[in-house]
Amino acid sequence: MNGKNISEVIKLKRRLYIELLRLVKTGKLAEEISNLSQKMITKDSPRYRCCEFKERAIFDQRIKAVMGFNIASNKDKSLKELAKSLPRQGKKRNIVEVIDTACDSCPIDKYLVTDACRNCVAHKCVNVCPVNAIVIIQNKAYIDQDKCVECGKCAGACSYNAILENQRPCSRACELDAISSDSNRQAKIDREKCVSCGSCITACPFGAITETGDLIQVALELFSEKNSLAAMLAPSFVGQFGYQQSPAKIKYGLKKLGFEEVKEVAAGAEITAAAESKELKEKIMEEETLLSSCCPAFKRMVLNEFESLSRLISNTDSPMAVTAQKIKNENNKLKTIFIGPCTAKKEEALQNENVDYVLTFEELLALFTAHNINLAEIEEAEKLEDAGVLGRQFAYAGGLQKSLRELVKVDYKSKQIDGLGRLKKELYLIKAKKNNYNFLEGMACTGGCIGGPSAMISKGAAKKLVQNFAESN
Amino acid sequence: MPKNTLKICIGTPCHLMGASELLELINELDQNLRDKIELKTSHCIDDCCEQAPVAEFNGRIYQDLNPEKLYKIIRDNIR
Repeated sequence: MNGKNISEVIKLKRRLYIELLRLVKTGKLAEEISNLSQKMITKDSPRYRCCEFKERAIFDQRIKAVMGFNIASNKDKSLKELAKSLPRQGKKRNIVEVIDTACDSCPIDKYLVTDACRNCVAHKCVNVCPVNAIVIIQNKAYIDQDKCVECGKCAGACSYNAILENQRPCSRACELDAISSDSNRQAKIDREKCVSCGSCITACPFGAITETGDLIQVALELFSEKNSLAAMLAPSFVGQFGYQQSPAKIKYGLKKLGFEEVKEVAAGAEITAAAESKELKEKIMEEETLLSSCCPAFKRMVLNEFESLSRLISNTDSPMAVTAQKIKNENNKLKTIFIGPCTAKKEEALQNENVDYVLTFEELLALFTAHNINLAEIEEAEKLEDAGVLGRQFAYAGGLQKSLRELVKVDYKSKQIDGLGRLKKELYLIKAKKNNYNFLEGMACTGGCIGGPSAMISKGAAKKLVQNFAESN
Repeated sequence: MPKNTLKICIGTPCHLMGASELLELINELDQNLRDKIELKTSHCIDDCCEQAPVAEFNGRIYQDLNPEKLYKIIRDNIR
């Protein structure tokens, strides 16, 4: 919850989760799903677009994403048709997607000519514009916004810096420049660059960028009671499910919800740390640098943009992968569900055969709510003590670095950086061999996982709670 | 003894809709204002979970809150 407020967009999404889950619970998903947008968006509900019909059209797209379907590739399929095809086989899909009907093609995002324009003789802006969108009107350059393709050449060309770039919230939030605009000026995601970090989803005030999820699939599995499910709680889960709701109570709540097993991913993190410490010792001997691999967004960025550095990424499996493997080894019939604050983990899970589904904290809370399980009213608890401090402190930035310090006794230098933009700069330094350390802990989100896009409480509070929990075992 | 009572629901539906932000707001209140309020938490206020998050200030129930709304309610109704 990176200092952001829970906006109407987020509330609407969470209400939708609850309504869909209630339909699953009553077994009426396919039957009622086509009427849901009509039920939830009435003539009198707050409206942000031209009419309630457009609101509903957008809402229907959102429903598709919540059910785990890509919007663009399922444009022609009805909600009913899609609902009937659940549970879906196969895992291929995009995690982050633009709802094109919701994207407002942000008019604020154009290039603006300010009063600094002198109507100079050179007219570099007019000359450089590839689509002839700039004309001179009343002694000033004027950009025809219908023609403008937002290439930015005019702003670069102007000798007076008179042309202002007014960036969209989504592309400003994306530190990897993965968002551009298409010919209709709608947001477009470059799949070669996107690491599914989720920043754009949080940033868009129209809620026009969304994530596809496993929530409905998991609910169907839970309600069908044919399958046994294992919940894997990310190390950052402490405190995320409500004020003073203890880990032991959350474990009890998950069992009540129908999960057969509840495991801490921190237990896998301990195994990851041990394996990574061995790799690190080798790298120290070789005078090389090891890059951490537990943050999937950071790892993906290295693979996408720094191919020559990919050999430096730790080969150790992520805590999620290790935990899932362990569960499957013990009982192959269990389906594994990772629960965390992260959209990039959804992407990682698509590539991992041992992880069946991923839920975010907010998705799990919606599941509790739809099931009328109020954690605050539960008195019972079930002890959760799968891991110690070395695994549990993975939840915050610097935790992994600290665990490795414990495990690697030799003297070495290491560095910890959070935030994709800062990491990218650092990787350039490593590429040029201008770094003086043997280990880089890279976390895409500021503050580490506790600062993830689906975190429910502030980073500061979360860190304290994780630390207390870590020291309790 | 503070003259005002604020009860914030920390039940799961309210937490999902932002109860933690309301609690944070109270922690960040001006000390003058904070000293006048006794903060309590509740597991559920009046069963109005559909209108979460919910809080009760000096006996009156307020629904569909956010930190800004709650701040105004406190400022306008404080004794």
